[in-house]
Formats: sequence, structure tokens, C-alpha cells
Amino acid sequence: MRKLLAATLGVLSAIGGFVDIGDLVAASQAGARFGMAHAWVLLVGVLGICAYAEMAGRIAAVSGRAVFDLVRERLGPRVALLNLVASYVVTVVTLAAELGGVALAVQLATGVSYLLWVPVAAFAVWLVLWRMRFELMERVFGLAGLALLVFAVALVALPTDWGRLGRQAVQLSSAGQGWSAYWFVAVALFASTVSPYEVFFFSSGGVEERWSAADLADARSSVLIGFPVGGFLALSLIATAAVVYHPSGASLDTLDQVAQPVVLAFGGIGLAVAVLAFFAVTFGAALETGLSAAYAAAQYFGWQWGKRISPRKAARFHSVLLVSVLLGVLALLTRVDPIQLTEYMLIISAVALPLTYLPILVVANDRNYLGDRVNGRWTNLLGALFLLLIVVASVAAIPLAIITRMGQ
Amino acid sequence: MRVQLTKRLLDRQIIDADGRLVGRVDDIEFAIDDEGYPYLDCLLTGQRVLGERVGGWIGRALVAIADRFVDDPPVPPVRISVSLIDRMDSAVRLRVRAGDLPASPLEVWLRRHLIDRIPGAHRASG
Repeated sequence: MRKLLAATLGVLSAIGGFVDIGDLVAASQAGARFGMAHAWVLLVGVLGICAYAEMAGRIAAVSGRAVFDLVRERLGPRVALLNLVASYVVTVVTLAAELGGVALAVQLATGVSYLLWVPVAAFAVWLVLWRMRFELMERVFGLAGLALLVFAVALVALPTDWGRLGRQAVQLSSAGQGWSAYWFVAVALFASTVSPYEVFFFSSGGVEERWSAADLADARSSVLIGFPVGGFLALSLIATAAVVYHPSGASLDTLDQVAQPVVLAFGGIGLAVAVLAFFAVTFGAALETGLSAAYAAAQYFGWQWGKRISPRKAARFHSVLLVSVLLGVLALLTRVDPIQLTEYMLIISAVALPLTYLPILVVANDRNYLGDRVNGRWTNLLGALFLLLIVVASVAAIPLAIITRMGQ
Repeated sequence: MRVQLTKRLLDRQIIDADGRLVGRVDDIEFAIDDEGYPYLDCLLTGQRVLGERVGGWIGRALVAIADRFVDDPPVPPVRISVSLIDRMDSAVRLRVRAGDLPASPLEVWLRRHLIDRIPGAHRASG
């Protein structure tokens, strides 16, 4: 239990990457269209984010520097500013989508249009950011997000053909949808699993919790439990959609369709748990993205940041938080579809991803920061391979998006 | 103290004696001693001096934004004498408290006009 509580920071960080509002639908859609053929992408993504979150957590514990500190220190003010702008746009647009997701979950429970719930959701999110203690926030939303395990349980209750799922995962096929659509979905899933705000949030959370070198073991278990749990939740979404939708090739693009497999398995109670899970993960992802946007800006400029001190002593940090939430609300009131909002961020992520992960890898080898806790040879090899993969995925994202018209 | 200025000093976080974040080393200032040798005199921090260092239209935009949210622009940067530096590791650590240094004008402006007006601004959530 103590291990699990220590791991909630990792779980909450992973939720924003693996099962936020965009991914709830995108993962289910991938399962409906291609079966389990994208399972390997999640495995690769989990391995990559674990490698980088471990480095970022180690740097935060030993030196007290969070990720955007490193970005500014290593890339200088200009290139870091480019990264800040790209990361801020990605993160705040994702925040908008999550606020919409919270409102959609409430709409699913009440039947009242989500647009009316958007201001309520935004106020609730802001209130938590303004008042709730960081550890409490991380535990409540990290643990509540685990309600999404209901999808894994549903898989057991449904007449699942495990052999068939296994074959789909191993024998890759484009299921008659075309290989460019297959690869677009693969790149989109991969990019969302390594979203830059996950490492901003994880490393800054470590600093908020005052990790020191003595907490390295906890930091590592938080990574090694949290991110695989996030990956498992996303995998169970793909699998349930593959079981329920893939045979008929039905398409899927709303939240109630995502919940359908759980309803088939458990009826009304299943729906209630699924709605609660959607609420928890989107709310958690909104907290993660809101804080990450403000962490990145504050760390770039060197402002006082964090929830440990009173807001008036971190006025610039809390101003950015407030403005980001308001921008999210404004974006949603244009009536843009919150579920599709995150898909377009893929292209801007392409700028932010290499400019975020390269400084982590460089500093993880710098003895001025880490003393003798610098990367070993295998961590460096893994880190370099993933950086290469991230660059390839970033470059491939744009032509694939154009050829397939965003994966159509 | 011998340091590689661009690698070890510029863009580093400045932290006070209590662990408060003071700002970043946005620029540095040299002075000339009696024998005509230049020496490092001050660390400079603030959006305006950062904008001037970045240069171009982006730098000018940073300066314009910095000037918009202060009471009487243009504000000079916060100057921190090198003699106040205690040690340098992954950050520049000062031997004084942030309260003894001039406050950031942007922080003061936002505190007065926005954050202090919201209930609960005085209590840390921890």
C-alpha cells in the first residue's frame, strides 16, 4: 500500500499521457478499427516515457531542478522560448480538451449539455489548483483514475476470444483500412504517450514533494508502477473496443460509445463506474496540464512557483494558472469538439518533444547536477534510441496527417 | 572564482538563503577595476533584460509585455552583486534572503492587481 501511495504521482502523470479525453476515444477507436494491432505502440511508449521520467525524477531528486529548468539552462533563452511557446500551446489546448472531457462525463451522468458544465468544471479545477495540497491532490486523482480498471475487468466478463486478441497483437495488419491510416494512428498514440507535460508534471511534482537523494527509490518505483499502469489502462480500452466493435468494423467517436463495452458487461452499474472513471481521469489530466503549463512558464523565467507557498508569494505562477484555465474555457465556448482538439496538437508536439527530451538526456549525464548518479551506458542507449524514435515520429506526423486527412 | 560564464552561470536559477526562487541569470554585467581589467560585477534578472538579450522581434515582444504589467515602465532589472553569491552548483545560491533584494516589479503588480483580490491568497495549500 505504501508503494502504491508513493506511486500516485507516477499514476497521475501517466493518466494525462495515456488516458486523457483524447486518448480515451483515440485508443478505443484504434481498437475498433485495427483490433490489437497497436498494442506494441503502447509498450514502446511506456518503455520510452519510463526511461525519460526516471531521468527527470532522478535529476529533480538530486539537484532540485525540474525539466523546464534544464530546457532553459541547456538550450539558452531563444530555443527554450520556442519550446516554451510550443509546449504551452500543446498543454493549454489539452487542458481545454480535458475541461471539455470533465463536462462530457457530467453530461453522460446528467443528460444536461456539456457546454453548461464547462464553466463549472473549470471553476472546480481551478479551485483544486488554488487550494488543495499537492500530495492530497495527487493521491485523490491518481487513485480515482484507477476506476478505469473496470475496462480490464469487463474484458474478463465479456465473451473475449483471448487467442484472437493475441493474434491481432502479433500479426500486424491494417484491417483493410490502409497502411497510412494505420501508421497515422500509431504515431498519434505514440506521441500522446510521450507528451511533454508528463515529464514537466512528474519532475515538478518531485520538487513540490521535496524529494532528495534519499527518495530516489520512491521516485523510481513511482515511474515503474505509474506509467505501466497508465499503459495498461489504455491497452484495456483498446482491447475492449477490439472485442466489441472490431468484428463489425463499427466506427466510434463519442464518450458513451467508449463506455459501451462496460455497459454490455455490467449494465447500469458498469456505466456508473465508467462515468466516474472518465470524470476522474479527465479531471486529473486537467490538473496535470494546468499545472504543467504554469510550471513550464515559471521555470523558464525563474519565477517562484509551487503549491507549498502562498499564492501571493507566487503571484506570477498563479496568474499563469488562472489565465490558462480561462483560455481553456474560451477555447471550448467556440463549440470546438473537445475530443478532436487533442489530435491536432500532434503537429505542434513535433516541435516540443525533441526540445524537451534532449536537455533531459544531456543533463542526466552532467556530473555538476548529478554527481556519480549520472546515466549508465544502458540508460543512455535507451534514451538515445527513444530520442531518435521521437524525431522520426515527429517528422512523419505531418505528412501522415496530410495524406490521411487526420487518420480518416 | 573561475567559472565558464556562459555554461555555468548564464540562464541558471538564482536561489536565496531560504531556498526561495529569486529569478534567472538573464544577463551579467562587467565593471572595470583601477588597473583597467574587466571583472564580473552583477547578475541581472528580469523579463526586460532577458528580452534585450534575446533580441529581434521576439525580444522586443518580451520587453513590451514586461512593460505592460508594471506600474511605471521602463523598470530597471534586479541587480545582484557577485559578492552576494554563496556558492554555485546546479543553481546560483545567494547568502542573502529574497526579502533583502529589490522585488520583481511584475510579481508586485500581479500580486496587487490580481492575486491578492482572490480569497485565500495568503494561505499556502502545502
